[in-house]
Amino acid sequence: MDDYLIGVLSNIGVISFIALSAYLLLLTGEISFGQQAFFAIGAYAAGIATALWGWPLALALVWGAAIGGAAAVLVGIPTLRLHGLYFAIATLAFAEMVRILFELFRYQITIDGELVGPDGADGFRNIRYIFDNNIDAFQFLLLIYALLAVVLLGFVLLERSRLGVIFRMIGEDETLAGLQGVSIAHHKVLAAGISGALAGIGGGLYAHLTTYVEPRIFDVMLGVHSLAYGLIGGLGTALGPLLGVLIDIGVLESIRALSGYRMIIFGGLVALLLIVRPRGLLDENVVHKIGRFWRRISPWARRPGLNTGNRNNLTGGRP
Amino acid sequence: MLDLQAVSKHFGGVRAVDGVDLTVARGQILGLIGPNGSGKSTIVNLICGLFPLTSGRIVYNGADIADLPPHARVTMGIARTFQNIRLFGQLTVWQNLWVAQNSSEQRKQNFLKRWLGGSRSAREEIDRTLEFFDLAHKRDELAGNLAFGEQRRLEFARALSAKPALLLLDEPAAGMNAEEIDQLDGRIRRMRQDGITVLLIEHHVELVMSVADRIAVLNFGQKIAEGTPAAVQANPVVREAYLGTAAAA
Repeated sequence: MDDYLIGVLSNIGVISFIALSAYLLLLTGEISFGQQAFFAIGAYAAGIATALWGWPLALALVWGAAIGGAAAVLVGIPTLRLHGLYFAIATLAFAEMVRILFELFRYQITIDGELVGPDGADGFRNIRYIFDNNIDAFQFLLLIYALLAVVLLGFVLLERSRLGVIFRMIGEDETLAGLQGVSIAHHKVLAAGISGALAGIGGGLYAHLTTYVEPRIFDVMLGVHSLAYGLIGGLGTALGPLLGVLIDIGVLESIRALSGYRMIIFGGLVALLLIVRPRGLLDENVVHKIGRFWRRISPWARRPGLNTGNRNNLTGGRP
Repeated sequence: MLDLQAVSKHFGGVRAVDGVDLTVARGQILGLIGPNGSGKSTIVNLICGLFPLTSGRIVYNGADIADLPPHARVTMGIARTFQNIRLFGQLTVWQNLWVAQNSSEQRKQNFLKRWLGGSRSAREEIDRTLEFFDLAHKRDELAGNLAFGEQRRLEFARALSAKPALLLLDEPAAGMNAEEIDQLDGRIRRMRQDGITVLLIEHHVELVMSVADRIAVLNFGQKIAEGTPAAVQANPVVREAYLGTAAAA
């Protein structure tokens, strides 16, 4: 595989994590403009862990996810009482605060006669783990996609589980969800924590992929894009945001003839889809239809209607 | 079972509910009627916890529940339906019922089974409820794609899925034809047989008179009469509230 393609695919994989992170919050009906903050926190945390503390990569990624998730829970507890626009503004303000803090953040130690670590606005250079350990670009690509596959499997389970249904309930009608006996506050903070951890893993991968991070990368445009991926690709399945990433990075950014028009096409696409398909290309209705078609043609699918055939015996006849 | 003591709810200067005492006895069907804007729906919203009280107490099974959040009240066995149908349209019929299984008894199920698809008994319970409401053939349909009558039945079914001890029905017959009202009448009676206490808010007088054990009448946020259906029907104060005074007519 040529280097350019590996680079594009790696980018798609890494950005998919932050897209899924924004998607999870969208499911619960919250629009966050601040997921880039947890991406940044994960990137710095994981980078510091390998470059400064000499941790293995796996542990560093878990650490980045944990810090990202914990930060999201701490932010979520006060802000998730807000709704809609107010929550969006609060998350945006938080993310800008984090970005500016990283511009002030200096934590450098000397390793082999060289100063390593975050240096404020000049960024954090030499996150050299994959060079020092002879991991080539293709192997790192496989690592990214293996982790992404695990996360997607988690989403498949989530969508089938009670928790996933509860997230969607809260997204559709919060008051009504409360009247089904669901604690809104607990579930929203849980969703925020998981989404923060997802962004954190993505950030950790990003830091090791590019070997260099600086606060400027984690600006509001990254947050807006990660939000837009779900809205374009669709909110009916976790594959929706991935489709969004594929369209943006795989097509618009990477095909040279199109890249100059990326923002125009992407922005236009968002505006158009919000009008004609407000819940994206793969929305709930499409996903439901595909699922029904699959159940019809698949010999393995569970057949619906356990009790058809003896309908009236169950209740002793309808009243 | 449920005791409203001097309950008031004021929205600014509007006294939507003003010092109402109301008692629902266990196993009873209490009808709550009154002209539009008399505070019936507000009372339901107060009981299930959507608004905080201005003053008064709501005692349920001996405990004051006025400060509990809505989800805690559901766990204690209070479920409701809405005057305007409110369903999760993006979820399937089955999922709508599944997530409603939140009574304290249902919460004791095996944790993993409960969160990953439901235990066998929980799934059978849903299937039985779907049969009871004639929705079994729609179980995998998105709730938003159902016809109006089916959505009404689904809302009813969902309220029952939480195994309520007290069911608050907010105008369940709105928009129904005579045949559907007949079926509704039967289902409400059937629920009483199953030991569910019902607070029924309804404009359809025939239905209330037919199923309710007692009827309370509201007007301008205050209770103006209470008694058996026959007594309420004969009460001149009630007639006046609905039809106006003889002089005005």
